[in-house]
Amino acid sequence: MKQQRLNLTTFFNVEDVLPNCGDSSHDGVIQKLVRRLAERHQLGDVEKLTNEVLAREGMGSTVIADGLAVPHARIDGISQPFAAVATSKPGFDFPDVSAKVHVVFMVLIPRDQPALYLKVLRGLGTTFGDPNNINLVAGMMSAGEIFRFFESGKTYLPRFLTAADIMTRDFCSLSVDGTMRTCISALIAEHTSELPVVDTCGNLKGVVRADNLLRSCIPEHFLWMDDLSSILDFEPFVQVLGNEHNTPLATIMDDKYPVVSPGSPAVQVACEMMKHKSSKCYVRDEGRLVGIVKLTEFLNKIFRE
Amino acid sequence: MKFFNPKFLIQILIVCGVTFGGLEAGLATNVTQALTLAVFSAVISTTLLFWERRVGVAFLGVALLVGCKAMTLKQMLVGTELDIILFLVGMMIIVGVLKDLGFLTWVIQAIISRNKMTGVSFTAILCVLSAVMASVVDEVSSIVVVLALVFQVCETLKLRPHPFVLIAVMATNIGSSATMLGNPVGIFIGNKAGFTFSQFLVGATPVAFAALCCTFLITVFWFRKDIRMMSEAMDAHRKTGLGPTAKIPYKAGLVVLLSTVVVIAFHHQIEGLLGLEGADNHNAFLIMTPLVVAGILMILRPSRARHYVEHEVEWWTLLFFMLLFSISASLSTNGITANLATNLTQHVKGGPNGMIPLVILISSLGSAFVDNIVFVASFAPVVQELMKISSEYSVLWWALLFGACYGGNITVVGSTANIVASGLLEKHGYHPVKFSDWIKIGALVGLVSGIVAWLMLLAMPVPHPVGP
Repeated sequence: MKQQRLNLTTFFNVEDVLPNCGDSSHDGVIQKLVRRLAERHQLGDVEKLTNEVLAREGMGSTVIADGLAVPHARIDGISQPFAAVATSKPGFDFPDVSAKVHVVFMVLIPRDQPALYLKVLRGLGTTFGDPNNINLVAGMMSAGEIFRFFESGKTYLPRFLTAADIMTRDFCSLSVDGTMRTCISALIAEHTSELPVVDTCGNLKGVVRADNLLRSCIPEHFLWMDDLSSILDFEPFVQVLGNEHNTPLATIMDDKYPVVSPGSPAVQVACEMMKHKSSKCYVRDEGRLVGIVKLTEFLNKIFRE
Repeated sequence: MKFFNPKFLIQILIVCGVTFGGLEAGLATNVTQALTLAVFSAVISTTLLFWERRVGVAFLGVALLVGCKAMTLKQMLVGTELDIILFLVGMMIIVGVLKDLGFLTWVIQAIISRNKMTGVSFTAILCVLSAVMASVVDEVSSIVVVLALVFQVCETLKLRPHPFVLIAVMATNIGSSATMLGNPVGIFIGNKAGFTFSQFLVGATPVAFAALCCTFLITVFWFRKDIRMMSEAMDAHRKTGLGPTAKIPYKAGLVVLLSTVVVIAFHHQIEGLLGLEGADNHNAFLIMTPLVVAGILMILRPSRARHYVEHEVEWWTLLFFMLLFSISASLSTNGITANLATNLTQHVKGGPNGMIPLVILISSLGSAFVDNIVFVASFAPVVQELMKISSEYSVLWWALLFGACYGGNITVVGSTANIVASGLLEKHGYHPVKFSDWIKIGALVGLVSGIVAWLMLLAMPVPHPVGP
């Protein structure tokens, strides 16, 4: 049976829309939206629900675009998602962002549907792909008008999450022309054990890993030995230290790493990371590195956010 | 996989050519024989054209032969030569233990800690080490160890490793023919023909030594510029050395290796003492020795036993060998090799000695393009048929051995050692040796070593097998 595609308006009704919300404070608008949902759908303790949403807000900003915020929480005991919308022409004050937020789309998600929030984000991304739409919605005077905007937009939730939904677009990379010195410095500065290597056009050429570095310090034939207790005083790093400034990065670059395209399903990202026993998956679009999915962020987005 | 891959067309042409050629030449006279030839040529051409698919095609080939009654299930199982496979498994585990114990690390350390080396003496050491290592452990383990030395030295001296990789590979292929342990081809021929380990030493080692000397001279001349550059770089590095060194314990590994080789060397005498006689027990202790040693080592190192079996044994390769041996055996059981042997005796004049250059030539050229065990497994039944005519034809076992091992030097795909060496070059960030660069020196070494083998087989008395 073909799975029915979900529209954003499946999760809320015209009664769940608060146009021209008077309260401009962050906590205030969230409390109003939670109260509206709790009263309309008998969701229980308003204070408890509000605290859950605010706790999630405390973990990191939910402002996903200029003027648009998507506060959310995973709630026990609900079987379907509930959403509510508040707008304000003057704008709401959200912490950690200087610009005013004009549209707040709050969503309460059943705890057992972890990917739903990310799907909602993608749906909203489509709806508000044109930044003018935020001002357009903020300027609408009635709940019915706002609801019809979402309804007429026919914003469907994606059937599955893709690498693009969960990847980080802001990442550090090394130039393929670099040296071992730049590599060591970058790995230490970034507190990471792995960095991508790109050419001048941004094309992904390989990755460097901290264990590749160690391998270049310790000659291969030492790694054959199982018991190293007899050579505990062996210090093989001196030679590498003397040559790090003129050792090309290419000598320690690895060409085997998990890679997917932006449209690859999230499950493929997970499988690739497992296959390569890697904590990062690289997202490549026509050769160019466009993002990285880190395992910890992947887990956070799927299980916690 | 592209549907219209031109390699498919080439493979179809090879299979059709071999099958219809075989029918035309009288090698195949009925449908079963034609089918056997077709399956055999399909597997061989797969190793040439679709290397990664060879095991899959061999699976289907065996199934087709059994399904079409070209061989029975029992013939298929007997044909897998499980004794040879177990011997190889045992040796691979022993090499894994030698790595663990630090013996192979010590070998490299012992060389890089020498302070008075020159380019020429390093090349000589490389040749001897490659040949000796290949003759006592398998050629793949040998090339991995020797190339670790080459990369260590060349990367320290900032030199191009390619010439020394080629020298090491060529010496490895030649050294692998010196004993039964060096190459799967050696144990296969030894077991099929019925040579003892000591007979193999008498027949193969002098020829391998002569071929190695010639190879050393050729490569020293061919790569004289690179060797001179190495000498200069070594002079500049006298104080800093060729890499970090440490005191590596080696005695335990040395004891393991020497005991294995010594017991194998006396396997015939031990078999006599134990009363392991007759065709069913031929070379029984030769086959069992690696299993006994590997068994003891795994009992002594229980925490590593699973690692040895799972990671040190090349199961993929061994599985292919079993299937290939089985398909080759079907050539014999269906009478194709008997037909070929008859044709050869009718067309090649000069008896066994007249056939030596032909067998060396064919096996060299064949091994240059397909794995040498593939060629030897295919040709062994023909020699067995010829030996039914006269035991003097046993000299062809040696011709087959030398042709297959030395022919492996001709191209980059000629032997497993060559392929492993190319992979290691890439893994270390170098481009592999170009096919054209390889074939120039490879063909010269292959030609000279083939001629050396031919002349020595004519000049020296070679042992005759005691019987399979």
